[in-house]
Amino acid sequence: MTQNIFRSIFRRYIVITPILLVLIVAQMEEYSQLTTSGTFGAAIRLAIPIMLAGLGGLYSEKTGVVNIGLEGMMIMGTWFGAWGGFTFGAWQGVFIGMLGGALFGLIHAIATVSFQVDHIVSGVAINILAAGVARFLNVIAFEDIAFASSTASPRITGDIGKLTVPYLAGGNINGEETSNFFGYIEDLNIFLVSDFAGLVLGFLSNISHLTIFALAIVPLSVLVLWNTPIGLQMRSVGEYPTGSESLGVNVYLMKYIGVTISGALSGLAGAYLVIAGTGIYLEGQTGGRGFIGLASMLFGNYKPFGILMGSGLFGFADALQLRSPKAVHGLLVIIAIFLFVLALKTLFEKKYIPSLISLVLSSGFLIWFLNSESIPNQFVYFTPHITTLIVLSFSNQRIKLPEKIGVPYKKGELS
Amino acid sequence: MNLAINTKNISKSYPGVLANSNVSVQIKKSSIHAIVGENGAGKSTLMKILYGMTKPDQGEIEVFDQPANMSSPKEAINLGIGMVHQHFMLAKNLTVLENIILGIDKPSIKNLGLKKYKKLIEEVMSTYSLDIDLDMFVEDLSVGEKQRVEIIKVLFRGAKILILDEPTAVLVPQEVNELFKNLNNLKQNGVTIIFISHKLDEVLEIADDISVMRTGELIDSVKNENVSKTELAEMMIGKSLPTPPPRSTETKQNKILDIKSITSESVDGRKFFTDVSFSVFESEILGIAGVEGNGQKEVVESIIGIQNIESGEIFFNGENINNKTTRQRLESGISFIPEDRQLQAMIMDMNLTNNVIIGRQNIEKYKSNLATVKIKNAIKESENVISLFDVKTPNTNTLATALSGGNQQKFVVGRELEDNPSLLIASQPTRGIDIGAQSLIWEKLRQSRDNGLAVLLISADLEELIGLSDRIIVFYQGSTVKELSSDDVSPEDLGGYMTGLKK
Repeated sequence: MTQNIFRSIFRRYIVITPILLVLIVAQMEEYSQLTTSGTFGAAIRLAIPIMLAGLGGLYSEKTGVVNIGLEGMMIMGTWFGAWGGFTFGAWQGVFIGMLGGALFGLIHAIATVSFQVDHIVSGVAINILAAGVARFLNVIAFEDIAFASSTASPRITGDIGKLTVPYLAGGNINGEETSNFFGYIEDLNIFLVSDFAGLVLGFLSNISHLTIFALAIVPLSVLVLWNTPIGLQMRSVGEYPTGSESLGVNVYLMKYIGVTISGALSGLAGAYLVIAGTGIYLEGQTGGRGFIGLASMLFGNYKPFGILMGSGLFGFADALQLRSPKAVHGLLVIIAIFLFVLALKTLFEKKYIPSLISLVLSSGFLIWFLNSESIPNQFVYFTPHITTLIVLSFSNQRIKLPEKIGVPYKKGELS
Repeated sequence: MNLAINTKNISKSYPGVLANSNVSVQIKKSSIHAIVGENGAGKSTLMKILYGMTKPDQGEIEVFDQPANMSSPKEAINLGIGMVHQHFMLAKNLTVLENIILGIDKPSIKNLGLKKYKKLIEEVMSTYSLDIDLDMFVEDLSVGEKQRVEIIKVLFRGAKILILDEPTAVLVPQEVNELFKNLNNLKQNGVTIIFISHKLDEVLEIADDISVMRTGELIDSVKNENVSKTELAEMMIGKSLPTPPPRSTETKQNKILDIKSITSESVDGRKFFTDVSFSVFESEILGIAGVEGNGQKEVVESIIGIQNIESGEIFFNGENINNKTTRQRLESGISFIPEDRQLQAMIMDMNLTNNVIIGRQNIEKYKSNLATVKIKNAIKESENVISLFDVKTPNTNTLATALSGGNQQKFVVGRELEDNPSLLIASQPTRGIDIGAQSLIWEKLRQSRDNGLAVLLISADLEELIGLSDRIIVFYQGSTVKELSSDDVSPEDLGGYMTGLKK
């Protein structure tokens, strides 16, 4: 029993080691920003769009359709979200943004499923098309409206609303402020306990209703994909469509459903950027988050909670570089130690060359850390991407891809 | 009589082939009925018809004494017919349980009911004494276990008639025993089993009744007790004797290819072939006979270096070529006609000129001073092949896919013979092509042989094998069991050795 626990901890060292390291480094005065509630709160806001795009990728790829058009569907989400938000109100904007993404998901499904277009080709086309369509629509829809330009929409009307939990995080009840339990603990500065309180407070205070809605999709996806007949059929067509067809599964329909849901979730991701974020549509607002969503899907090994973790990691790194460039410097020593652990692990597995490479890189980061006060600004902006890349490259060895992913399926053809 | 399936005069033809011709077969309830025949005898077509995957052109089918007119597998399943395919229809990354219940419920949003199904499936498993861990991922199962999952899947859907397509082809001997034990259990519980195979030993071990098919016709249905292996082999292979034209030249004495006790096994430990030795002499056609799947394909692949060998040596023109790459072997004078021309021999979306260069781009005459191909020589060469082998094509620019099967094959044979190789390996050189192309290829092979070429001929067509070869060696279960001179061998003899009857 204890051995099992130990083994499962060891297997998850990729996730656990960095967390521990962050906690330890955060105890130093100059890096204390690493684990404040403010950092975590920002991390959640930054992580949600990526998580939604990742979940979108999940629905599509589980049914066997590669979806690199997530970015494009997200762009549609931002524009339709802004248009709906401006014309009808915030929640209506969310819904319309989802519809816009779903529409492009449907286009991807028609191309890849019915016409057997190569999935990558169709995805690239979606990305190019979406950027153009968004601009086109923006010019048409907001032609004579104040504060709008060809690349930006006017501000949305209405507000989505925010929640701060009373008593635990100091939310208001009947207009009166209540106690802030976790805030109090966070201020005590106790090792681990205060850091943890910071994390919880990030989730409980000043959180948008849309964030709660988005987070609810994670367990919902587990239920739908793994515990309902339709989920089983969707997963089966990504694995072995010929077999599914022989058991009476409507392969095409399942793929259509998967890819369309994928588009709707990407659309929601885009709408989130507008409605819970900037309040207006801006060209290029998605900034490649659709692709990072794909990365978080791989990081999460095609599991909803894994995707949550992956996007959380990216959001955390992103929040850090925005709020506290100085704390980013602390990441250097974290990377150095992480690589050192990895070097030991590969050494035990008798993989000498990877071990040596990890060791050299580890020393490199350590020397850099010791000989510098801060990280050049250019690198700070790059932090989220490089963090994601490093973690992804060390964790992707056991990814369970759907068996027939990216393979066009033709009805009645045995393969 | 108590019949599970009764077919009356079923016929089915595909363009150019009569796959089933007036097949009438009666299959008794709660029995194991084997259908045997060589590849291409029409077994698979008959099965597809019984499972509703294709419709017969004419004829009637009765299932449990009711006329049945099936147009999809779903209807077959509703009538109680289930099929276990040779290639398992299982999703690797799903659990056994998920694979079994897939498609039973409509695609809806409700609880999947894994627990309920698990209990139901366990009941079915205990009824038929089948055992499997339902929570395992299919990926982690052995081949035999995967097959058991397929059987459970079909039974769970209420199948009373089970069609097994070449079920033992992928199994190791222990798994075959396990399967036979399970099948007997099923039979005792009232399940009817249709067992398709070309392995006579197994058929005689397991089946109650045996039907033999050949070239689309049902030759006979017999009771197991009333038939010997020899009789079955004769029925399966037929008796028509070829008339080989006398040859005027002599086989020379020097060995072109000399194989010394080579052995090879697959990754999962199944032996492809063991301790195989033979030689091919200059100006000789050596035929290799064997029921498909007895190691001959792998031996050929190891000669050209696609298949690794564990031990033994291969000599070509007196030189050990064990450590040479496939390209070096081909360049040193081995030519190869693969058994599947569309998959291995040609690139169907390229024109004939490009197809002539494939694999030969390093030959001197195609090399230019720059690192490019001398396309002029290639065009000349393909024109040469077209005229010598009477390939019917508008020009050398035609795509390979636009040619008929016979013309494609003539082009491949011509290409392989063009550079005066010293050894030609011809694997099924005339499979599935028209008689005209067939006789032309035979003629060209004889001509080249008379001019000194050593030919290794692998063919399932015994007529072709006896007619062309000077000597024949027989493969059975991965070993050479017999060497025969083609002058005094009958197809029945050959069939006997091929099926392990004679030793």
